[in-house]
Amino acid sequence: MDLKVPKLSKPKLPKVAISRKQALTAAGTAIFVVLIALVGGMLLLDYTGDRQVATFGSHVAASEADLSLVSGKASSLMRSSSDDLSVAECDAYMREFAAVADYGTRVTVYHRQIVGADRVPEAYAGAQSAYIGALDNLNRAFSLWSSAAAAYDAKAYTTAKENLARADEAWREYTAAIEDYDRELRSAEEGGWIPPA
Amino acid sequence: MEWKDVVPVLAGGLVILIVALVVKPVFLGEPIGFLSPGPAPVLTLPVYVPPTPAPVVPPFPEGGAAYTRNFRWTAIDGGVQTTQVRVPEALFLAHRATPQVADPLAWGRYAIADADRPILEDLARRVAPPAGNPEEDYFRLMDLIFFVQQIPYELDSSTDSYIEGAIPRYAVRQGEEAGYSKSPVEMLVDGRGDCEDAAILMAGLLDALGYDTVLLRYPEHMALGIRMNEFNPYYAKYPPKYFTYEGKHYYYVEGTDYTTISTGNSTFWGKPFAIGDAEGTGIPGVKSGTPEIIPLRYIPTPNEYRIRPARLPAGGA
Repeated sequence: MDLKVPKLSKPKLPKVAISRKQALTAAGTAIFVVLIALVGGMLLLDYTGDRQVATFGSHVAASEADLSLVSGKASSLMRSSSDDLSVAECDAYMREFAAVADYGTRVTVYHRQIVGADRVPEAYAGAQSAYIGALDNLNRAFSLWSSAAAAYDAKAYTTAKENLARADEAWREYTAAIEDYDRELRSAEEGGWIPPA
Repeated sequence: MEWKDVVPVLAGGLVILIVALVVKPVFLGEPIGFLSPGPAPVLTLPVYVPPTPAPVVPPFPEGGAAYTRNFRWTAIDGGVQTTQVRVPEALFLAHRATPQVADPLAWGRYAIADADRPILEDLARRVAPPAGNPEEDYFRLMDLIFFVQQIPYELDSSTDSYIEGAIPRYAVRQGEEAGYSKSPVEMLVDGRGDCEDAAILMAGLLDALGYDTVLLRYPEHMALGIRMNEFNPYYAKYPPKYFTYEGKHYYYVEGTDYTTISTGNSTFWGKPFAIGDAEGTGIPGVKSGTPEIIPLRYIPTPNEYRIRPARLPAGGA
């Protein structure tokens, strides 16, 4: 069979005739648009970062406010006299202690979830992480308080004592984490310089 | 409309899409594309839930069946004293039907058990009646100590230690040996007991009179510690032994009377031990050892409980 290839003509592109003036105008406009986009983008990022820090700050403030309520309950209980109590009064004291421990555990879990979900600028990531660490340590301390109260209820006083010793340790780690948080926050606010611990 | 008119529009739309779906999420650390970060978890602000009060235990009926026990002892002035104790049977049986407290650190609960308290307060007032003169407090104290020391000693493993003539079901058994810590009223009804039973009874009686006491637990013995600021009587032929607990001095008080006096063919439980006398027991661990101190009221409390306020970010709420 004899096949014939048909002759195809070259596709013709439309001729664009641009003058030098038009080309310069187009380039200038493009550069202007890019600059506007860059400045706009930076302003947007700056605004978003400020908003994120403000949100993080409001969540830390709410957490601190709730923790101060827990602290008030704990301090009030610790200040109450435990001298000359009857067995029933000692048990009631420990039930109150268990209730404060439970409250502290739930408050720290709640605020850990909220602060942990915050998006913060990179400079504030260290402060956020340290604050979450502080809440985690505090949560562990309150959980150990609960364990101590349960051990007391089972008349296992030695176990209760051991749990409280571990809770004290977790509490000291909480204090250290808050110091880290303060340092990281200062660093973020002062532009990245971290003073020695 | 020609294609050259449509291309710029499409290109512009594409740029907007890329900026919205890729560039912005990359800058802000959000998920790229149409992925949504998901709905925020719904959290409920925790509130303080106060503890539920413990159910009120009704007191044991006064008029029901009761054990009556008579005691006879030599007081500090050398006079022989007698008294009678009445313990509701239901109270005694309730103690016998209660599992033992395994942790010795919790044995102070036995001494200050609420149900035993009225009986101990009444007995303490009769053994050591309130003195009009504060200087006689020492004699009241010694009368109470002598009363307990003169209750016959009996090992936990001996069936003679129990009115039922059998080891209680909740006794802790280790081979042939049995361990059973008696509440004060069990010791009174049984009329005998070992060192920890005596120390617990003495602690309960002295606590009822307002004295600050602890239990002193040695590996093979238990005694009482009584808080005194300074105790060094001229007649003591020994250095009075005390232990420091939470900054307070607790002097050793023996709860049992190991010393026997033989007269002819008879042997008597005889010479009481004075406060601070740890030498006379003859137990090496007591002479030289340091006991574990068990407070009657033990409330485990943390040392660390203060929240440290955190600084808020500048610009925060």
